[in-house]
Amino acid sequence: MFAHIFFYRFKCLIRDKQLVFWTLLFPILLGTFFYMAFSNLNDEESFHPIHAAVVPSGNSHYDASFVEVLRSVSKGKNRLFTMKTAASQAEADRWLKAGKIDGYFSSGETIQLTVNESGLNQSIMKSFVDQYRTNSAAVAQIAKDNPNALQNGLLQDLSDRRSYVKEVSGSGAEPNNVLNYFYVLIAMACLYGSFWGSKEIMDIQADQTERAARINTAPIHKLKAFIAGSLAALLILFTEILILLAYLRFGLKIDFGPRAGFVVLTALLGSILGISFGAFISAVVKAGEGLKIACLIFVTMAGSFLSGMMYQNMKYIVSQHVPLLSWLNPVNLLTDAFYALYYYDNLYRFALNAGMMVLFIIVFCAGTYLIIRRRKYARL
Amino acid sequence: MIHVKNLLKRYGDLVALDHLSLDIKEGEIFGLLGPNGSGKSTAINCILSLLSFDKGEIEIFGKKMTPDAYESKRNIGIVMQNVAVFDELTVYENIDYFCGLYVHDKSERKRLVEEAIDFVELGNFKKFHPKKLSGGLLRRLNIACGIAHRPKLIILDEPTVAVDPQSRNKILEGIARLNKQGATIVYTSHYMEEVEQLCSRIAILDKGRVIASGTQEELKAMITLGEKITIEAFSINEQELQQLRELPGVLSVQWIEKRLVIKSGKKAGSLEAVLDFLKTHEIGFGRIYSELPTLNDVFLEITGKQLRD
Ligand SMILES: Nc1ncnc2c1ncn2[C@@H]1O[C@H](COP(=O)(O)OP(=O)(O)OP(=O)(O)O)[C@@H](O)[C@H]1O
Ligand SMILES: [Mg+2]
Repeated sequence: MFAHIFFYRFKCLIRDKQLVFWTLLFPILLGTFFYMAFSNLNDEESFHPIHAAVVPSGNSHYDASFVEVLRSVSKGKNRLFTMKTAASQAEADRWLKAGKIDGYFSSGETIQLTVNESGLNQSIMKSFVDQYRTNSAAVAQIAKDNPNALQNGLLQDLSDRRSYVKEVSGSGAEPNNVLNYFYVLIAMACLYGSFWGSKEIMDIQADQTERAARINTAPIHKLKAFIAGSLAALLILFTEILILLAYLRFGLKIDFGPRAGFVVLTALLGSILGISFGAFISAVVKAGEGLKIACLIFVTMAGSFLSGMMYQNMKYIVSQHVPLLSWLNPVNLLTDAFYALYYYDNLYRFALNAGMMVLFIIVFCAGTYLIIRRRKYARL
Repeated sequence: MIHVKNLLKRYGDLVALDHLSLDIKEGEIFGLLGPNGSGKSTAINCILSLLSFDKGEIEIFGKKMTPDAYESKRNIGIVMQNVAVFDELTVYENIDYFCGLYVHDKSERKRLVEEAIDFVELGNFKKFHPKKLSGGLLRRLNIACGIAHRPKLIILDEPTVAVDPQSRNKILEGIARLNKQGATIVYTSHYMEEVEQLCSRIAILDKGRVIASGTQEELKAMITLGEKITIEAFSINEQELQQLRELPGVLSVQWIEKRLVIKSGKKAGSLEAVLDFLKTHEIGFGRIYSELPTLNDVFLEITGKQLRD
């Protein structure tokens, strides 16, 4: 019986062309569109070396290793800096004022950084200095003993541009890449999956459709039928999200970081979130199918907007000024979970997002249960 | 088979069922006749345990009816007032889906579904989706979905609304056949002709109350009207009309569009008396029609209004 319902619900759902369009084709089209729009904004290409200068202290004990390190990160195609050496601090100041450089380092016992505005480049310079400071003793020693070693990997960390971008973006500045757009896109697709959940409710609540009333007269427990249907819906949505993920990852080469297992887990969580959200809204909003769909679209689109779908910085504006909203926005939770998997080595931030999603799922399921467990209706 | 006692159902202030009692016996075709909004669907949905109600008792197959009464539910087939099928499934799949909620054995189900398709003569439309079916065919699909599992009790809520006369006759014949095969039928309608043609016992519903119930003959015997006589008359004056009204057995006389409409009581002889009167007063007349009372007349006499307005 369970299998019978599951099978037929699956057929019913998968043949709903409109829903398949909105939950699968639309995100794929939008992703392709993003890809084309952003392809020249790709992080590797859009990162131009930072114009910087160094003011030597004149004390070779300090200067030698620092200048050596700077030189090594200012070479090659993927260099971090385009470096000039200033004769004096006054000259460096002039360059800074004229906008020729974004900032300059003053060598010495402690390295000083001078900038006159704040931005991504300045932040990167800052974290470069911080890193250098922590490692300076070791670096200085190596530079003295074996200068070649610096190029051969030891400085890899120090010169890995991406590690700075990551770190800086983690602290709230604008990350220099477009990954977030694609992460929101997946989150949006999951939430559009709420249509499936909504359909399940409409086909089980006797006061919503005659079909449902008919099911209610059959010798089967309503909740059992509902669970069978919802599992069919979940299977469909999860498969769709996996297809979307595969398209983004292998077709458009969007990077999700190294933890594929967690990415798939997030997709599953997102699918469950979408279905349970749709079921909940559909159970609460009894009036008309149009109003339900309007609610679902509104929450999904508003959530996507606040997560940076149309304007990337929106996500940071929200998380800085209304942090509660970013925790209550299911689209943002999903986006941020993908983001955390990509940017952070530890799973703390991912776990926070996943935990919040599980909480939402529990609330949606419990709410839905409380509404649909009634088997007699006051009116049809 | 169905036993309903003192059922009270309110929608807010509106009393939809006012202490409704029904007794439906095994093997009969029971008609629930009432105008729009009289509470037919409400009664059916209460009986099916879909609607909650304020007071009353409902028993089906001798057991109290609840949402969990699966044993009873297994033997009930329901055809809703509105078409209740899935647009995404074909004719065959729709019937199979609903049948599968009752019958688990696959090969038996296949046989039953085929039988149901033959029964409603949808053999040529098995692979059609409901959107592609005409209104009459859709109604037939709706019926097939409710009866494929061969229930002992079949409840049909206005299954012929918006169906052309030919399809309607097919449906009515089919229902009679189901009854012959042993099913008890509950049939609601606001068409008295259907109910007269089909039902062995009838309850007439108005404003949530049973205003009369019994066989057709019993119902018609309840009222004073025995015969309705219509005579084409060319001219007649007020005084003569008044004299007609005073003839023995005549209940009422109206002269509308050159027709005399005379209602007479149960005793025979009124027609002769009227014709004698017309002859002696030299009133010219043409064709004469005589009709026996209908359920509409029963309804009219009890409630003072037409069944269909
Ligand atoms: N969901 C509801 N909310 C409020 N009132 C309702 C509701 N459903 C029905 N009613 C009212 O209850 C009364 C009985 O309605 P019901 O649908 O049972 O009548 P019916 O005899 O089936 O009519 P019809 O021939 O039009 O199907 C009507 O007055 C109707 O307006
Ligand atoms: Mg009705």
